[in-house]
Amino acid sequence: MAELLTLAVIGLGTYALRAAFLVMAHRAPPARAARLLPYVGPAVLAAIVVPAFVAPHGTIAFAETAPALLAAAAAWLAWRHLKRNLPIALFGGLAVWWIASWAVSAARGLGLGPS
Amino acid sequence: MTALSPPPVLAEPVIGRAVRDALPVVLAYAPFGLALGATLSATHLPSWIAWSSSPLLFGGAAQLLAVQMLDAGAGAVLVVLGALVVNARMLLYSAALAPHTAGWRARWRWLGAYLLADPVYALAITRFTGAHTDGPRERLRYFFTVGLVLWPAWLGLTGAGVLLGGVLPTSLRLDLAAPLTFLLLLLPMLTSRPAYAAAVTGGTVAVAASGLPLGLGLLAGAAAGIAVGGWLGGRDG
Repeated sequence: MAELLTLAVIGLGTYALRAAFLVMAHRAPPARAARLLPYVGPAVLAAIVVPAFVAPHGTIAFAETAPALLAAAAAWLAWRHLKRNLPIALFGGLAVWWIASWAVSAARGLGLGPS
Repeated sequence: MTALSPPPVLAEPVIGRAVRDALPVVLAYAPFGLALGATLSATHLPSWIAWSSSPLLFGGAAQLLAVQMLDAGAGAVLVVLGALVVNARMLLYSAALAPHTAGWRARWRWLGAYLLADPVYALAITRFTGAHTDGPRERLRYFFTVGLVLWPAWLGLTGAGVLLGGVLPTSLRLDLAAPLTFLLLLLPMLTSRPAYAAAVTGGTVAVAASGLPLGLGLLAGAAAGIAVGGWLGGRDG
């Protein structure tokens, strides 16, 4: 139950963040905050995303890292060149990840490649 | 039949457009939603409590972080802090969307705030800043239609993931679905040199600090990225 309370507090906090400027539609954010706001999204999302691709299970290992980085590159390219189509970029990235993971483990099975 | 059919309703195009815009997003979020549900059910938390993060938070990144930290035994204060840092970008969404909602009644703005998740924001801001000349009514219809497609879809997808958690074949690996989804949220934000610098700094510092416990690497990366972005943005601007 303590966990439910924690989640509820996060929910309230998240609602406050979302409502902050929306409910005061005529008031602009203070200048200093407005200057930093555009960089919150890129910084936070990159801080989530980059470690997840570089070290998928907490450590950098070729067999994990290489397929994940390939998948990220594939999703990026697909998003950029195919009209920002989200499903194609996402499923394309997942497919590249599956194939590359399979290839890495197959190469290892044959005694090839870095370990 | 055509002679007797009612005249086309003016609201139809914007609502239909909203549904057509939202459905591909539901499809793109399906792997992440299912994977998140499976992760939720794999924690020591009761499944319904872990799943309640979907209606309470309505945002996958913070749900994933909060439930994993709770599962690892982190203290409540640290979990709340970490999740709210992850969600700090909602302030940006709120500020960016506010001018487009100025013509709405206050109750719709209070209600809309609850629905302001990443994909709802992304679709709405694209529509409102595009070539369309929607009035406040059309914007209201568009926003809430998108929200009312994505909200039940998210609750349903994560719920299905919870229920299927033990049943999904292990060969169907979805653990990369979460970072791929966040990457596709990040890419449209990289619109300027300081924004790129904020992302590169945030990512690099987070990797360097990934040995720190309990999501502190994320906090360090976020703080460094925002600082560098603000510094470069102030200098360039």
